[in-house]
Amino acid sequence: MRFQDAAKDARAVVYAGIQSDPLVSRAATLLEEATTAERLLARAAMNGERTDPETWRRVFPTLFGESAGEGLRGHAEQILAASLEVAERGEAARSQYRGAVVEELTARLLARRAGPEEPVKRERRVLFDGVRAEIHPYDVTLESAARPEVYDCKWGARGINADVLNQLDDARAHAAEEDVDLRVAIVVFDARRSCELRLDRSTANHDQTRLVPLEFLDELKGGRP
Amino acid sequence: MSESGGSNSAADVAARAAEAYEALGGLAETVEDEWQYVTDLVDAYLPSIRGLVGADPGRALAADVIAAVDEAICEIALITDPHKAIDWLSTFPHLVALALGGDVDRRAGAADGAVGDLDTADLHTTEPDGDSPFRLLRGGR
Repeated sequence: MRFQDAAKDARAVVYAGIQSDPLVSRAATLLEEATTAERLLARAAMNGERTDPETWRRVFPTLFGESAGEGLRGHAEQILAASLEVAERGEAARSQYRGAVVEELTARLLARRAGPEEPVKRERRVLFDGVRAEIHPYDVTLESAARPEVYDCKWGARGINADVLNQLDDARAHAAEEDVDLRVAIVVFDARRSCELRLDRSTANHDQTRLVPLEFLDELKGGRP
Repeated sequence: MSESGGSNSAADVAARAAEAYEALGGLAETVEDEWQYVTDLVDAYLPSIRGLVGADPGRALAADVIAAVDEAICEIALITDPHKAIDWLSTFPHLVALALGGDVDRRAGAADGAVGDLDTADLHTTEPDGDSPFRLLRGGR
């Protein structure tokens, strides 16, 4: 089993431009240290109809009200500002920005626990002897020689589908055939319950695939799944 | 009275949220391929939203709490894209729960402390939860 950079097709080149936008990095940096409530704010504001900040301050009194401390309010304001900048990119672009933010956030959280010989990389394929390579690269990989991990990242639970689950499980199974303990997971910037409802209906094999929903993103930095 | 013209009791606010959520579900279910998922979301979250009333349905809520829920209702009322409506079927209940100080993660019939419980206090900490599905789905490894 080995990792390889994905080929740069036209879509990837365009998407790379979004991934490298400083807004993506800024949003991910803020969300890296965010509470679940702040991440809910980001999800709502990035996906909202309205982009005036006062609306969102009213929706989240626990973050912006008098009961919130000055530090929390300040951090929440930064998250709100970044989220509304994403929303203001327009309907077509915002979905790509949101996806890029989730990927960047995942990579940053994983990097917190990755060792020096365990690089965290993006847009990578996993190749196995005698197996045709998958078309879609993995969003984030932790390339440990002994205990590699691959992650697919989704903005919403609706992104959980049979193709994604099958690809992850196939990779795990092929790795196992080579005696490699490949951990596979899907990171979803959405509520756990919604993800579980989605998974409950899926007939694709996912019993060895980890789910990392919005409420538990911090587990990515806390230890190997 | 709130800006939307409703009353200020927990029961009334939760009822307004539930009504708005049902309407959002009606829009979302026009995406035929996602009918089952939409139905599952509404079946799961609608009772949970109604359940946010708590033990004292008649209790008066603070003005900022009422405004938060009504503002969230206004937000989903603006949605015309059924695909976006599906996204909000997942988000809206958690906004309402955060404002009202309740939990919409609990599965119907789940006992206290069961996996799936996540109260409002948990939403303001960055500490991982002990009942994390990330841990539970490790398959015993």
